[in-house]
Amino acid sequence: MNWREKVLDFDNIGDRGEGLKGLVFDVQKFAIHDGGGIRTNVFLKGCPLQCLWCSNPESLASKPEITFVTNNCIGCGKCLEVCPAGAIRQGETAGEDIIIDRERCTLCGQCAKHCYAGAINIIGRYVSVPELMQIIERDRKFYEQSGGGVTFSGGEPTAQPEFLKAALAEIQKRGIHTAIETSSLLPWEIYAPILEHVDLVLTDIKHMDDAEHKRLTGVSNQLILDNIRKISSLGIPVKIRLPLIPGINDSDRNLEATAEFVEQLSNVQSLDILPYHRLGEMKYRQLDISYPLKGVESPTVEHVEERIRALRERGLNISVGG
Amino acid sequence: MSTKAKVNPAVATQGPTERVEKIKARFLATTPEICAERAKLITESYKETEGLPMTTRRAKALEKILMGMSIYIEDDELIVGNQCSMPRSAPVYPEFSCEWLEAELDRLAKRTADVFLISEDVKNTLRKDVFPYWKGKTNQEIATALMKQEAIDAGNAVVYTVGNYYFNGVGHISANYGKVMSQGLNAVIAEAEAAKAKFDYADAHQMKSLHFLESTITANKAVIAFANRYADEAERLAAVQKDAARKAELLEIARICRKVPAQPAETFQEAVQSFWFIHLVIQLESNGHSISPMRFDQYCYPFYAASKDSMPAEKAQELLDLMWLKLNGLNKVRDENSTMAFAGYPMFMNIIVGGVDREGKDATNELSLMLLQAAANTKLYAPSLSVRIHEGTADVLYMKAAEVSRMGLGVPAFFNDRTIIPALLSRGLTLEDARDYGIIGCVEPQVGGKTEGWHDAAFFNMAKVIELTLNNGYDKRTAMQVGPQTGAVTEMKSFDDVMAAYTKQMEYFVGLMCHADNMVDLAHGQNVPLPFLSSLVEDCIGRGKSLQEGGAIYNFSGPQGVGVANAGDALTAIKKLCFDEKVISLPELKEVLDKDFEGAENIRQMLVNRAPKYGNDDDYADEIAVESANIYCREVNKYHNPRGGQFQPGLYPASANVPFGGVVEATPDGRKKGTPLADGVSPIGGFDISGPTATVNSVAKLDHEVTSNGTLLNQKFHPNAVKGEEGLRNLIAVTETYFKNGGFHVQYNVIDRKTLEKAQEKPEEFASLVVRVAGYSAFFTALDKSLQDDIMSRTEQVF
Repeated sequence: MNWREKVLDFDNIGDRGEGLKGLVFDVQKFAIHDGGGIRTNVFLKGCPLQCLWCSNPESLASKPEITFVTNNCIGCGKCLEVCPAGAIRQGETAGEDIIIDRERCTLCGQCAKHCYAGAINIIGRYVSVPELMQIIERDRKFYEQSGGGVTFSGGEPTAQPEFLKAALAEIQKRGIHTAIETSSLLPWEIYAPILEHVDLVLTDIKHMDDAEHKRLTGVSNQLILDNIRKISSLGIPVKIRLPLIPGINDSDRNLEATAEFVEQLSNVQSLDILPYHRLGEMKYRQLDISYPLKGVESPTVEHVEERIRALRERGLNISVGG
Repeated sequence: MSTKAKVNPAVATQGPTERVEKIKARFLATTPEICAERAKLITESYKETEGLPMTTRRAKALEKILMGMSIYIEDDELIVGNQCSMPRSAPVYPEFSCEWLEAELDRLAKRTADVFLISEDVKNTLRKDVFPYWKGKTNQEIATALMKQEAIDAGNAVVYTVGNYYFNGVGHISANYGKVMSQGLNAVIAEAEAAKAKFDYADAHQMKSLHFLESTITANKAVIAFANRYADEAERLAAVQKDAARKAELLEIARICRKVPAQPAETFQEAVQSFWFIHLVIQLESNGHSISPMRFDQYCYPFYAASKDSMPAEKAQELLDLMWLKLNGLNKVRDENSTMAFAGYPMFMNIIVGGVDREGKDATNELSLMLLQAAANTKLYAPSLSVRIHEGTADVLYMKAAEVSRMGLGVPAFFNDRTIIPALLSRGLTLEDARDYGIIGCVEPQVGGKTEGWHDAAFFNMAKVIELTLNNGYDKRTAMQVGPQTGAVTEMKSFDDVMAAYTKQMEYFVGLMCHADNMVDLAHGQNVPLPFLSSLVEDCIGRGKSLQEGGAIYNFSGPQGVGVANAGDALTAIKKLCFDEKVISLPELKEVLDKDFEGAENIRQMLVNRAPKYGNDDDYADEIAVESANIYCREVNKYHNPRGGQFQPGLYPASANVPFGGVVEATPDGRKKGTPLADGVSPIGGFDISGPTATVNSVAKLDHEVTSNGTLLNQKFHPNAVKGEEGLRNLIAVTETYFKNGGFHVQYNVIDRKTLEKAQEKPEEFASLVVRVAGYSAFFTALDKSLQDDIMSRTEQVF
């Protein structure tokens, strides 16, 4: 079993089958910026936040989704033929792309199956823990050699708490280092049993001001900050991640408030600055949704350094890029 | 781990000196030219020696060249010795082949890759004094006369090419440099004199040995006289030199050139100079490439150790840097087709550091690190620099190698003792000799000073065999039935039928290739024995036989399979889509391939995206790739060469994957007609979509021991992936995991695509940009555009 095999299994996309399964939208090997050493990143689909700068918009919905990549389309017309729901039609003007009626689409996967060029894809596959372990085990020697392991990311991995907990427990049982990259937005009674199987937590602080946080992500930051304090009291190693979005959360005031918060914690390995990038923008198009941060430029290295100088001066262990 | 004193990494932190920068700038500003001196001198000599034994004629010709060629000492130089009348220029070796040169003479300065300027004077000399004499006498013409027509036809269809040694000398050797440094050529002469006593002049065969030994003595004496010419020149320059410091340097050069290589070296500079004379003359005698210094950190260490306390660290590093620049100055002109396969003025001179010593202990020393530093200081494409890795490799060496790797020079290449030592043992080397291996050329292991490895015997086009399997042995391009009739696709009812036909085609063509190689081998023995080189390889003097006739202790012939990934992925696509899933029949697929996917892009996309691909740690695809390679290797293993040695397979392409792809029709891996094949054992560019760990896992599934002539894996990293100390540790972890799983060789390109695109647009601004092409470094801007595109299409593993 490898991830690609799973992706190419178009006939069973919606089938949750027997037993516990997680909805995974990607598995990335040789991840080296998410928890130390060489790691496998497992991306779980579904997220309770709606951050304006999200670079994985396909991760937000907690069900499979259809995407269309214009550049890959070779215009063979096969998708129009095979769609049993009549959800795909040719654009009206010559040379126009196909149009997908997402309301009608049943996510049966037939169009993607016959789209050999990979223009139509269904994002998200239901994966069992044993299947996932087969994928993860393939790189075991790299984890051992480099001090790496497995990181669950998303989406929001804790949004599938049962699956996440079971997978983490199995991975840890097999002697592989575990990490989660999370918003920490979930009730503590659900979070705590997950954390029992986590060796390292990578958690975001997106804005210290609650009102701003609500505006930017759709949710309050109170639970998040409470949870981070609790993780600190448990002594689990944490890396705090700060997505640095120009003009949105990179004011002196917010950075100072973030630093003050971090300084009160006892278990922080580093404060990771993740400068805003636009690599996600094209994915919005593929999902037929508009990009919320249109026009915001990626910051230059100099800008990032200028913004975080004060943080470095406070003596915090800062890393840029994770 | 080593029981020796720890190596201090601080020794290898000296940057380039002003002298090094000046000489480098001069080198970069020089465009290579053709020099006619050697060609003219050897033609005169051959005219004078007709009727003498060939080995005698060869020695006398070398003597005439070394005595008659222009010599000079350039400003700032400390290590002296030039190959041609002008720096960076290439000599001509008409005795090997010159028909092609005559035909291409007016195009040399205009061709797309590896341009050589040529003056009208040089052209006239070659046309008047050289080419006419050699008609019908060259080694190439004699080899052709020995070959079966079928072998020539298959060569024309480019199922394989034996072109390298067919047009050129063999090279691909490492002489006993250490012995010359420690004993001197006078000792070699004495050895040859003593050996003469063993042979009986009344026995006709033994008399041949006596002729050979006499010729080695003539050649060695000529080399000593050649060094003395430099001593004379240095004294002449010193006499007119006003600057006292330079004058002293020139007098020191004169003193050294009077002493070495005739006598043992004692200081570090003497050892480096002795090495350089030997290396230079081997090049002038033999017309080969891949003449490799190999374990310089081992055999030169005693001389470094003797001098290091009396010499500033900066000076020791400078001497190595100067040696690096000297190595870059050697050049060779190839025919247009070969230039496609060996682009970027490469000489493939491989220096290797680290590994274990003959007793199995870690061999890392200060020179190991300083040689890595020399590559960092000079940032040029030569020599090829390699590092041997074993369980106990010193961390300082691993880190230094990773640091240099990260600079994006494409060096060093990493080699795995844990695979290579057993591979060499399986080929009959003693344990001590196997531990003492170095690398020739790109990736070919051998023990230096004892081996005639013929490592680049041929390139074999595995994708062409796929095409011929689907076409019942008929080659569309040459319109000839070049292979056996193994069945039309309509008769192939199962995947086993396809594999059976592929295997039969493979048997036939590997047999023809080995025949062709052996005929070229015989021709070398008859026409171009190399007495000087032979005298520096065991046991030619003892056996009274030249290298070319089997004088070496170990003899091999190594032909390379090219396009493993294409052959594997093509067969995988056939199995998966034609037989497992039956979405397209084999005859339908063939029809699509015959039309080069015209009007069938969706089928091509299916082949690319719906069949598993080698390089993604997918057992389905990987197992078929492994089997398609094994079939090639098993066939090659069956054959022997006329020197009493075995054929051994390798899987690496130099850059032959580009011209080879040029003659192959569309293939079932989704490859369009005429496009390049995959490089080495690397996956097809752009198909390795699962990242480097998956690639490494896939490639490690090949049998890297049976391919004892070498396999080659190129991996490209974005600078982000290797930044900081953690990045270096990750690079080491990938290497180490690959090696623990049985890998053979890996090297890393750390460069971003943007840089390459810019370099394509503005070559003049990127004249010193070094990039790795299939096992060797070259200037990116010297490459043919199709090769540049090939480099750029390899998946960038950006994270």
